Parts: sequence; C-alpha cells; structure tokens
Amino acid sequence: MIDTRALSLAAVVTGLLVEGCATHSEITLPVRDALDAGNPHAAIALLDEQMDVKAPTDLPAEMDSENSLFVLDRGSIQQSIAQFKDSKRDLEAADKAIDMLDLAHDAKDDIGSYIFSGSAGKYQAPPYEKLLVNTLDMVNYLELQDLNGARVEARRLAVMQKYISDDLKESDNPVLGLGGFLAGLTFEESEQPDEALRWYDQALQFAGFHALRDPVRLLLTKSQYRSPRLKDVEAGGPPPAAPEDQGQGEIVFVVGYGRVPHKIPHRIPIGLALTWFSGALAPNDVAAANRIAAQGLVTWVNYPTLGPEQGKYAIPAATIDGQYVQLEEAVNVTDQVRGEWKKIEGKIIVSAITRMIARFAAGSIVGAVAGQKNGIIGLLANLGTQATLTVLDKPDTRSWETLPARVAIARVRVAAGSHTVHLDARGVRRDLTLQVDKGGCSVVSLMALR
Amino acid sequence: MSFYNLAPSNVTPRQTMTRRTSFAALLGTAAIAALACSACGGKEYVRGANDPSIDQPAMSTGLDKDDIERTLQTLLNQMREAPIMDEWRVKAGQGSRQTVAIAPFQNETDEHVDSQLDAMLSETETWLVNSNITRVVDQSRQADMIRQVEGAQHPVFDPRHIPQYGKQLGVQFYITGKIGASDERTEDARRVQYFVFMQVIDTSTSEIRWQQKAYVTKAVR
Repeated sequence: MIDTRALSLAAVVTGLLVEGCATHSEITLPVRDALDAGNPHAAIALLDEQMDVKAPTDLPAEMDSENSLFVLDRGSIQQSIAQFKDSKRDLEAADKAIDMLDLAHDAKDDIGSYIFSGSAGKYQAPPYEKLLVNTLDMVNYLELQDLNGARVEARRLAVMQKYISDDLKESDNPVLGLGGFLAGLTFEESEQPDEALRWYDQALQFAGFHALRDPVRLLLTKSQYRSPRLKDVEAGGPPPAAPEDQGQGEIVFVVGYGRVPHKIPHRIPIGLALTWFSGALAPNDVAAANRIAAQGLVTWVNYPTLGPEQGKYAIPAATIDGQYVQLEEAVNVTDQVRGEWKKIEGKIIVSAITRMIARFAAGSIVGAVAGQKNGIIGLLANLGTQATLTVLDKPDTRSWETLPARVAIARVRVAAGSHTVHLDARGVRRDLTLQVDKGGCSVVSLMALR
Repeated sequence: MSFYNLAPSNVTPRQTMTRRTSFAALLGTAAIAALACSACGGKEYVRGANDPSIDQPAMSTGLDKDDIERTLQTLLNQMREAPIMDEWRVKAGQGSRQTVAIAPFQNETDEHVDSQLDAMLSETETWLVNSNITRVVDQSRQADMIRQVEGAQHPVFDPRHIPQYGKQLGVQFYITGKIGASDERTEDARRVQYFVFMQVIDTSTSEIRWQQKAYVTKAVR
C-alpha cells in the first residue's frame, strides 16, 4: 500500500517537474512569437511577466542567469522601438550581471552540467554576446547624442576586447568591426582623432566599411597616428574637404535585421547519439554508452542544438529625402553564433552523454536496492529514476535570443538642415525628420528583430 | 491509515526500513521546501540611519558614497592648505571675493559614474560656499552658458574652452577635474583603479593654479 502511494507521489512529482522543466528557449517562445507577429510591446510585457516586474522600467530583484538574459532581450526590444533610454538601462544592468555570472562561474557549475543538467551551471555568455552588449549600447548613446556615455561604452568594449583577445585567444571577432566603427565615430565626434583612428583601424581589418575611407582620410590630416592599414587608406586618394567647409553634416545609419538562431532542446535515443557523435567521445564512454544502448531501456540523450535564423534573405532599405542610400553589411552575427556553437558543440554532446550514463548508473542502484525482494518493483524503480532524471535534465538553451542576425551600416554627407529619413527592414519601419547641423553628425538606427 | 504510522505490527523489518526511508525522504523534501520558501521571500527595505552597516559593502565596481567621501576628504583637505586658497582668503579679507565656477568632472573611465561625479561636484560646491571666501556661480547659469559656447547639438562642457566660459560668466577661476581608470579583466577577476584629479584653473591664462589627485580601487574577485 505504502509503495503504491509512494509511486503515485513520485508520478505526481514527476508530472510537476515535467511542467516546471521547460528550457529557456521554450519559456521565451511566446516572446519570439510576439516579435514575429510585429508586436514588440507584447514581447516586453511577456518578459516583464517572466521577471515578475510591474513595468518595463523595473529591473528584477535578482539578476540570476535567466533574469539577466530576459533583461538583455528586453534591452534589445526596447532599442527596436526607439526607447533608447530604457534600452541602455537594461543593457547596462545586464552587462554587469552577465560579467558577474561569468566571473562567478566555477568547477561546481561544470560538474553540475556533467552530472545533473545542462542548465545546472551559471550562464556563460559567448564572446560575441559580451562584445555586442557594449556595441549595441553605444548605438543607444549615439542616438541620444550623448557622446560621454558612448565613450564609456567604447572603453568597456576595449576592456572586453582585450580580455577576449588575451585570455580567450580570440582577436578577430567580426563584431569588433561594428564596434570599431561605432567607437571610432564616437571619438571622432568627441574631437579625439588619435583614439578615433585606432578604432577605425580595427574596423578596417574586416570586410566592408567602405563608407569609412573618406572620413579616415580626413581624420588622418588631424593626427600623427598611423598603421599599415591606415597608410593604405591614405595612399588611396586625397582627403575630402571637411563637411563644415561645404555646409554639410553627416547621417550614419545602423540597421539590424532578422534574429540570430536560438538554441532548441533535442532528445534523441542513445543509439542515434552514438551514431552521430561517437567521434567526439572518449573510448570508455563509447563502451559504456554502447552497453546501455544494447539494453534498450529508457536511455535518452538531452542536448541543445541551434534552430534556424530569421531574415536570412532580407534586404534592408534606407532613404534620405526619398533617395536610396547604399547600406553595407558590417557584421553577420548569425555566422558568429554558428561558429561559436561549432567550437563548443562536441563538449556539450559529451556532457549530455555523460549525464545519460550517470542517470543509468543511478537508476541501476535504485533498482537494485528496491528490487531485492521483488524484481518488477526494482525494474520500475530503475525506469522511474531514469525517467525522472531524464526529465530533470534540461538542455542548456540559454542565449541572447533577440540579437539581430545581421547589421548593416551607411555613412553619408548631406546639406546642413532638415531631412526626412526612412528606414525599412522585414516590414519594420522608422520615419523621422532630422535636423543636421553644419559639421554635425546624427546616428539613426533600426532594429527589425523578426 | 496515515503515512506517519511508522511501524505497524504487520510489517517485516525490511518494509519498516522502506517506510522509514520514505518518511525520511518526505521530511527531507519538506525541509528543502521550507528552506526554499524562506530563501524566496524576506526582502525588506532598510534605513541607513538604523543600520549604518549597509553603507559598508561594495556593491559594484562603480563609485559609491564611501568612495566619494574618502576621495573628497583627500582632495579638499589638501585644497584647504593650498596657496590658491590663501590668495582667495587675502582677497576676501580685502573685501573683493574672487568669483569661482565649478565645472563638471570629465568622466574618462569605462564606468557610468556621471551621477556620482555630479554628487562630488555638489559636495565641493557646498564646501566652497560654506568656506565663505569666494563667490560661487550657480550651476544652472553655467548650463545656459555652455549651450551658448558649444552649440545646441552637443551642449557639453569642454575644458579646452574654459577661457570662453570665463568671459561669458565673468569668473576668475574654475574648479574642475577629471577621473580616469585602469580596468583589467581576467578569467576570474575584474579590477578598476580610479584616478581622480581636481584642479583650479585661472580663466584669464588657462594656467593650472592647483592640482591634486586621489585613488580609489574597486574589484570583483
């Protein structure tokens, strides 16, 4: 009788666990749906609900892994609806929290992800996310014409860039192209030509950024700083006349469109996992996994994989006073997501199979203890333990899901005065009238996250 | 029948063990649930006057009240004894107090500490007004003047234009400063070393008449 009750209780608990064990990307599905439906305000409301905050201006009481990602997502969406002050507050809060989680990550988190669940450890942001927090926040400050704040973000980007280059040995992340372009613009507008040229030099190492060549040639006349790349640009032609001498100002466009692939949970039988990933496993693990597969019991491998990106074939458009402006791709963020995923995929599969072996071992022990008198009870206990642990094993689908898949830029000179600007990408539009001062510069962005 | 009937007479020792294990597991679950509940709730607002210890811990790598107080203590104590203050005291004694404006500190760090720098500015202004040896120009007048000099698109204080500000406002001296930082990040730590500089500038010559520095270090480790 008591065993029946215990089993019933276990079934109820398991049921509750199944309900409570949605992965991050399953929880955020309604947010992505709202964005796809062109309703960013609903997406923000859903994130607020997840964080248990009353208003989009509130931050959650605790910035743990999940909430930090929700705040990052909300920051991106706020930027997409031109709420730049709200966006910068969110991105800055998340920036600190993500950094803190990264610093606090330790062996316990790794052990948890190998034994218990892929989502057990603290969230560790990949390099492109760390770099994009400051890069996108710079867009907020430039939109608000707050050069002081933009310079702070540029310096934060430099610190993170140095860490990623020195400690993670990754010095050629293309996100730095966009970051360099925006940071260079920030220091150019702050009348700090040396610092601006250092950043532009960095941007020029990546493809594109043709829009930079004339401004760089002009800037080189105000500075002694040179590098081989800058010398090449200098040799490519004479510097243009300064915009203020010709009664002109400049408009800089930053257009993000689409959405990076998010992670999705995958559950496959061990036999299939061995067929696909045996090359990534140690021989001992392959042997153990093969023994388990041969028994044909409840042996599932839970692991995350990448879903599709949004907006791969989109073509963004920008016009000034009805005239089209040529945009050029500054960074393909999707490529970064896929590249980073390829680097860690093997480790994630191995940890998933290790967890599966641990589950099997735990089930076997429980089954052996429970089945000393009755073999059927032992088998049920074994299966029940494995099934419960399988359900508890949440594939780590955490990521910054609302990043634009691609970002395009343009920088054009216009006569000083009033101009109507129109931006359009994936059905998301932004129209505004800009007052451009002589020698001034205005940054206009659009983030079409669908 | 109750789950808590631990050892009824009709069960074998093995069964009793099983029941005890189940009961212990339930108790354990209840204890964990209780702990979880206690961890979930219990946030409360605290008044610093009632609990001064809440000002003690560093909450971030930014600047807090404690950092501001220590920094200003260093800087203003040294300014009190500086020759420029003696000069102002002499002028005040002769009935011609000098007019001084306090300009925003330049944030050259990688932290958004502008509101803290504004607090430092206001503290300095209060200290100077209460010293009663100079006239101090109201900051709101300065904002209008900066807009006139720098234009509406970027109405931000630029120390290179101090002589122009001085002329517009009719001030003899500017107290200003800047804060820089060295920020380093490793795999398991982040350290920000702040360098705070305060200076008195003669607006007619742009000469730095007094300058002093203070250091603050914050870290996550």
